[in-house]
Amino acid sequence: MRKSAALLSGVLLTSLLFTACSNEASQESTSAAGTSSAQQPAALTSLFKAPDLSKLPATAQQRTDTIIMALTDPSGAFTPYFHQSGYDGNVSSLMFAPLVTTDDKGLPAPSLADHWELSKDQRTYTFHLQKDLKFSDGSPLTADDVAFTWTILHDKAYDGDSLIPTLGIEGGKAYHEGQADHISGIKITDPQTISVTIAKPNATALLTLGSDVLSKAYYGKDYRFGHLDYIKDLHLKPVGNGPYVLEKFIPGQEVRFTANPYYFKGEPKTKNFIYKTSEGDTWQYVETGEIDFASFSATQENIDKLKSLGFVNILPYTPSTYSFLQVNLEHQALQDKKVRQAITYGLDRQSIYVDANQGAGQIANIPAPPISWAYTEEGINPYAYDPEKAGQLLDEAGWLPGADGIREKNGQKLTLHYLGSKSAQTDVFIAVAEENFKAIGVDFQPEVFADYNSLASKVEGGDYDLASFSTPMLTDPSDGLVQFLDGEIKGYNNPQFVKLYNEALATNDLDKRKQIYAELFKLLNDDLPVIFTNYKKIVYAYNGRINDLTVSPFNGIASSVPQWALK
Amino acid sequence: MGAYLTRRLTYTILILLAASLLIFSLYAMTPGDFITGNIKLSPERKAELRELYGLNKPLLERYLTWMNQAFHGNFGYSLDKQQPVLTLFNQYIWNSFLLAIVSTFLTWIIAVIIGVIAAYRQYSWFDTLVMIFIFAAMSIPSFFIGLFLIKILAVDWKWLPPGGMLTTGSNATGIAYIREVVQHMTLPVIVMTLLGVGSLTRYFRSNMIDVIKQDYIRTARAKGLSERRVLFTHALRNALLPAITLVGFELPALFGGSLIIERIFNWPGIGQLYMQSFTVRDYPLLMGFTMFIAVLTVIGTLLSDILYHAADPRVKL
Repeated sequence: MRKSAALLSGVLLTSLLFTACSNEASQESTSAAGTSSAQQPAALTSLFKAPDLSKLPATAQQRTDTIIMALTDPSGAFTPYFHQSGYDGNVSSLMFAPLVTTDDKGLPAPSLADHWELSKDQRTYTFHLQKDLKFSDGSPLTADDVAFTWTILHDKAYDGDSLIPTLGIEGGKAYHEGQADHISGIKITDPQTISVTIAKPNATALLTLGSDVLSKAYYGKDYRFGHLDYIKDLHLKPVGNGPYVLEKFIPGQEVRFTANPYYFKGEPKTKNFIYKTSEGDTWQYVETGEIDFASFSATQENIDKLKSLGFVNILPYTPSTYSFLQVNLEHQALQDKKVRQAITYGLDRQSIYVDANQGAGQIANIPAPPISWAYTEEGINPYAYDPEKAGQLLDEAGWLPGADGIREKNGQKLTLHYLGSKSAQTDVFIAVAEENFKAIGVDFQPEVFADYNSLASKVEGGDYDLASFSTPMLTDPSDGLVQFLDGEIKGYNNPQFVKLYNEALATNDLDKRKQIYAELFKLLNDDLPVIFTNYKKIVYAYNGRINDLTVSPFNGIASSVPQWALK
Repeated sequence: MGAYLTRRLTYTILILLAASLLIFSLYAMTPGDFITGNIKLSPERKAELRELYGLNKPLLERYLTWMNQAFHGNFGYSLDKQQPVLTLFNQYIWNSFLLAIVSTFLTWIIAVIIGVIAAYRQYSWFDTLVMIFIFAAMSIPSFFIGLFLIKILAVDWKWLPPGGMLTTGSNATGIAYIREVVQHMTLPVIVMTLLGVGSLTRYFRSNMIDVIKQDYIRTARAKGLSERRVLFTHALRNALLPAITLVGFELPALFGGSLIIERIFNWPGIGQLYMQSFTVRDYPLLMGFTMFIAVLTVIGTLLSDILYHAADPRVKL
């Protein structure tokens, strides 16, 4: 998310000229968006196959054993758990396989761990590793390595963002404070079996624990408690266990990989893989065949243009996130649920997020993406645009139109101070919201920030009424809810929510969890601690000569890359 | 001269100290810090990390810590990239330098030649054409020219690569490697030269026009020297003199990288690195780079003064 501002300006730069030079199709679709959504052609819902591979540029044709993909800015810190930039996470995910992965629904599936058990009290997980696992240097991967990985994340010098230390592993705190030389809750039964006991039942623990494994022999060689700086020297010489191994990193240009012969699922089908440093949606590289895979916002214009290239397959994709307007619950006017609901009714989200984006969006009403196993629309209020209803709710809340048309209560005017970071989406939002809010008698005062960090710090300071945000990638349904609980959204306090949230995490029974989440979503949909706005939609465009390409909404490309084969 | 240098160096150090404090405060007071950007962190973990990085300490204390380490030659680790700041500079700065030195060289050569001819033939059709072209080149934004050339030369005609410094996946070495880099730098160099040549040409043209009117040029002609000799030996040398000051000012530009050009052509330069580190508030990297440019600027001006003195003994230091 913090990269999104930079990315957008890149999109702007590239799209400026290319749309100007391109075709009439773009004009058609903009005018369609201006009038009504009904005129738009049907959105892309399934894979579009490249109709004419003969148009494939020679550059791509000659590349018979290498797949190239764009990645904005890998920086060279390629050790899992220890990188700060998400792009380095993309790189390390090709070199390190997790213990437990997720399937297309976001449910746990075996990876390095063949199977696992959960104790009756739901606090002890026992992982059974696959046999004969090896690191990319040929050394064996055992339970010892898993224990080492979990242990160093509890070091007091650890500054990464892994959630493992937050699970409350027994003895973890003592280790963190330097009072124990190992973590008592981690037990190795045999080289293939390891168990770990956490503080209380937690449905997300399996996937959190089931993450990447670092080699103790390699990353633990120089380890002393309280000193982790030595790992920085190993960032560029990773020893992993994933499908690929690092061949060469050229800063600012490329990350080159070759197939890992020791990969436990067998050597990947394509020998080489390259992440080329460039914005993900750089048209010129797709058009000249310099990269094989890129992602674009799913606007009709982009889709039409990609189709016209002839040699790319187009795969529609909904990222596992949602966007929302954070509401300042510490401001009295907004503490009233009716006011929050009125704002939602009074905001034409369809125009802002779907039509103005030429279909590259979908309205959100709950804090879960449509691809999640917990997603539901049953009993969910869609808050369709209805200024009359909005006015009625404001009347009920005691906000009545004053002389200048702005609503007032106790001599106070109803004002909304909005914060957004500079982007095309924010511009659209401000333009439409200005009219929408005027129509329901709300004074709207937008303020735009140059980048995400300034926006976020202004919000932390509390001087706002509404602010636009998106979540990071969500795996478990609870990931999208935790912000209402951990103090991220200040001032939301609903005991019923806390009760249900904890209940949903305290069980590992999927049907039961589904049921609780449905109830939770209904509650939040009515309560509106934030105003849910939209889901993004993107398309992946990839060279038609790649077969068997899939992208998991929860793991990205990492789990399927070994299957990708070149024709 | 010796006394002058001592005085100048004292000023230089004072200026740099003041600049470092100012720059540090500006970055530190820009809303949001390195931790704010990571939306995956819970508020408690954010507080813990701020403590670990010392971001919660008072501004002055942070500045003194940084200064103390910098004096010991330690510019710290980039927070975002987890590598020593100096290593990162070394990785990116030479790529920027390569673009800058070649385009600066071309800009000066072209500007001198065109400037001299345009001045000699003042108000001729050549002069008029050059002026029109120059104003056009100066007023079109760089990203437009850049993207336009990529569209025409790289995407449509496929004459040149669309960006980057190497063909992706290339293992070229030696001559083949040099050829590849030259091919890739052609487009950015063209754009940078186009953008820079305008103002410099106008500068040389007007200097030259002034000089040509001087008495000593008339004398030279009266002595019967060839026109070429008059123009290039007597006139040009004097016309170039004021340009020496510009040489010093070019110094930071040679190493500073070009944000927009590097972005458009995907060139792995320091300008891009700087921009990325600003969006994530990577203080050690920002501070290191800005101070580096400040030092170069101060050295550059000093160099200009000394050069000017060497070239024109009338100038007293």
